[in-house]
Amino acid sequence: MNRRLLTALIAGATAAVGLFVWAAWPPTARYVPIEISMAVVGLSFMAAGIAAWLRWPASRLGLLFTIAGYLYLVPYILVNLANPVAWTVGNMYQGLYGAALAHLGLAWPTGRLRSRFECGVVIANYAQNVAFNVAGMMFWNPAFSGCSARCPANVLLIGEGSRPAWNALNTVEGFVGLVMTGIVLALIVRHWRSARGWSRRAMVPLVWISFAVGLEQILIGGAFNLPLSGLVSYGLAPLVLLLGPALFMISTVRARTAGGALGTAIVDLEPGAPPGRLKEALARALGDSTLQLAFRQDDGSGYRDTSGQTVQVARPDPGRAVVSVTGSDGAVLVYDEGLKLEPQLVRLTAAAAGMALEHARLQAEVRAQLEQVRASRARIVAAGDEERRRLERDLHDGAQQRLVTLSLALGMAKDRAAQADPELGSLIESASKEAREALTELRELARGIHPAVLTETGLAGAIQALVERSPVATTVTAVPDRRFPAPIEATAYFVVCEALANVAKHARANSAQITICARPGRLVVQVSDDGAGGARPEAGSGLRGLADRVASAGGVLRVDSPPGGGTRLEADLPCP
Amino acid sequence: MVGAGPDASGWPRCQTGSVQPSAAILIVDDHDGFRTFARGMLEAAGFTVAEAATGAEATEAARTVRPGLVLLDIGLPDFDGFEVARRLAALAEETAPVVVLTSTRDARDYGGRIAASPAAGFLPKDQLSGAALRRFLARDRA
Repeated sequence: MNRRLLTALIAGATAAVGLFVWAAWPPTARYVPIEISMAVVGLSFMAAGIAAWLRWPASRLGLLFTIAGYLYLVPYILVNLANPVAWTVGNMYQGLYGAALAHLGLAWPTGRLRSRFECGVVIANYAQNVAFNVAGMMFWNPAFSGCSARCPANVLLIGEGSRPAWNALNTVEGFVGLVMTGIVLALIVRHWRSARGWSRRAMVPLVWISFAVGLEQILIGGAFNLPLSGLVSYGLAPLVLLLGPALFMISTVRARTAGGALGTAIVDLEPGAPPGRLKEALARALGDSTLQLAFRQDDGSGYRDTSGQTVQVARPDPGRAVVSVTGSDGAVLVYDEGLKLEPQLVRLTAAAAGMALEHARLQAEVRAQLEQVRASRARIVAAGDEERRRLERDLHDGAQQRLVTLSLALGMAKDRAAQADPELGSLIESASKEAREALTELRELARGIHPAVLTETGLAGAIQALVERSPVATTVTAVPDRRFPAPIEATAYFVVCEALANVAKHARANSAQITICARPGRLVVQVSDDGAGGARPEAGSGLRGLADRVASAGGVLRVDSPPGGGTRLEADLPCP
Repeated sequence: MVGAGPDASGWPRCQTGSVQPSAAILIVDDHDGFRTFARGMLEAAGFTVAEAATGAEATEAARTVRPGLVLLDIGLPDFDGFEVARRLAALAEETAPVVVLTSTRDARDYGGRIAASPAAGFLPKDQLSGAALRRFLARDRA
């Protein structure tokens, strides 16, 4: 941004207003509405120009707005200075602002003219305006317009002037102006039709405003001698020109709205949304339907967008521009070039996309890690179960088998020895008893390590065995007869086992009830008692461990144990 | 053919209605030590004893030996005691032996499977004796 130029513009605008007021002073009642409307229009263009300059430092739009403002106001100041030269020059340049408006319309929304042809149109437009005005001044005697005494001398006037020549020039000028306006409007419509995305949206208000301003120019340009009063022609009609500065306001509001919408779009994006959804949300918020989100392909095949299309990033297609997604490695946004005018908005979009992608990446990473942890926990538990099963089998096949044989041998030895040596007999008898007790203890130990009945018969048999050993009267209201995957059977079994152990140890219950139901995709294990209640999972390591065990199978353990209201334990296990 | 005439092994057929002290017992167990020991004990108790180490051997021996009683370990290397009991029960009625399941484990470790099997009953291994087997034979006769 060129600070000195901006300062000059502001100073110039202030001076222009000062001069305008001074030149129009003292106000003549007849001209006051016209003067006010001219001042408002001119100042609005100047203000829009300065604001546009600040907002779009890289664009010429600010300059064009400002020039239009000066060209509108300065000739009027000059004709009011009561100086023949100033008056003549002022009259020469009246209407030149129209060429600046055409220039502005054709350069919208980037500030650059699109082709040599359009450059030519703009230059021709300025030139014909100046040419006709200069030529007109040579033949125009102010007396033709009833201004002989008040007006300063026309320094360009040749002789007494020529009314027919002046009239002819006016007619030709009106016709040429009409043609030029038509060409400019046609070009603007063509720009709108070929524009996409952000630029197309930016073109829409321009098209409407151009037609309104074009119409106003034609009406007051003298092409038609409409029965309009001077007040309407020179006081009210110019107010249409205020649509020019409004164009700048519309653009600014749109960019601001888009900036806010970006934040909302990112916040509203559901967690884990695919990049395609992110792109759609950004495109919608930004108002650029052509926005593409592209990723560098690992196989070196360049960039592809979210729909799988190859995207040129190093040399973007005409009318497209590229920005890297903030903080990403190999993600880019390809957007409509018109948005280059709003670098802040582009940066904001890139940052929003970066945040969303980073968020999605972190989420995916956490989800993957969680999945890994879940799987490894399930594997650890399954491996533990398998190890216990193996230990039980080893005990069964080894030590238990040998103890059985030993016990039988001792029994036989006792029978034989008892006849010959009663003392030896009773000694062997006590050894035999020891062996049998060791066998019983070993059986209990093996059962505690892993219940063979679970492997042998599944849940129904294993639960029945638990019920038979439970010291509290326990009923089984339902238990599925079929087999389930080993980890599910083991978990369900341990839930019941631990629950019954707690009932016996803590609940002071008279009875307990077991219900196991297979639901679609789930196995629900419930154990309830009519005891003292007040069990807290966080207090005892038993329930805590059980909750962990259930969680390892992907299930949930719920404990409902109001003091004095019994305890109800429910394990909800996922089950194919 | 099973069920007719003296079999090739020369063991006398177990006549229904008269339990002979010399009724043949088939011990089915993959544990050599237990088989040897049980054979000694049961022979001492007056039984004639044959042995099989697997489920397949057991069904084969049931046809050739025609034992009066099969002491059948539940845990076998090929198929389990329950399956062997089912196959033995499928033999013609007069040749089907009394089947007593056995294990170093407790009967409770098998839930309802013992009751559901066609076996006459279950005898924990450490309670094996000639007298116990005679009780099974007597119950079958009754």
